Amino acid sequence: MMELEALQGINSEVKALGARIVVLTPEVERYTCGVYKKLNLTFDILTDRHLKTAEQFGLVFILPDYLRELYKSVGITLDRFHDETEYRLPMPARYVIDKEGIIRAADVNADYTIRPEPSETVRQLVLTPQ
Amino acid sequence: MASLQERLGDFKKAFESGAPPYNVPHEAIEMMHRATAELKTSWIEGGALKVGDRAPSFTLFNQDHVQVASTDLLHEGPLVVSFFRGHW
Repeated sequence: MMELEALQGINSEVKALGARIVVLTPEVERYTCGVYKKLNLTFDILTDRHLKTAEQFGLVFILPDYLRELYKSVGITLDRFHDETEYRLPMPARYVIDKEGIIRAADVNADYTIRPEPSETVRQLVLTPQ
Repeated sequence: MASLQERLGDFKKAFESGAPPYNVPHEAIEMMHRATAELKTSWIEGGALKVGDRAPSFTLFNQDHVQVASTDLLHEGPLVVSFFRGHW
């Protein structure tokens, strides 16, 4: 959530650079809609159903059993959120992709408490050919 | 405004303190740390796409149930693609 707000904070700069932000999530649309409205987002949140695209980016991992139980106990029922029983998640990641479809910047971290700074993403976009 | 990582750091500190409003038990924090450490040492990060790789194309529904194709977006300009775990 904090990262989405931070991305919203750079959205006008990103647009001014002729680029666009999209967010991909494995969550089904009824949850996505809520987040979109709550944060007043002006970029799209796309439903990456069953993590098909996250898999192609090499980001998917399976939540260990012990954490599954813990999450369930506090109402984080990923089976319901994702409409599948497998408790898979994408590692948090941010990519900058140029018009030719080539990745110009990649920030991936297995530690979900670490996220790249939005200002760094703007800097990378400036360096990306338009 | 504080940087994103500073704000995340402040939240993490409050969350892991065990104090209100989160009241997270110490055992739960340890489990989360264990899972992160295991994922970190699994080398999964090394398998993710990197700078210079071709990004896979995708066609997905947005929040308004409108189909969005990455190839159409790239036609207009570069893309920032962010992967989000969820609303929880």
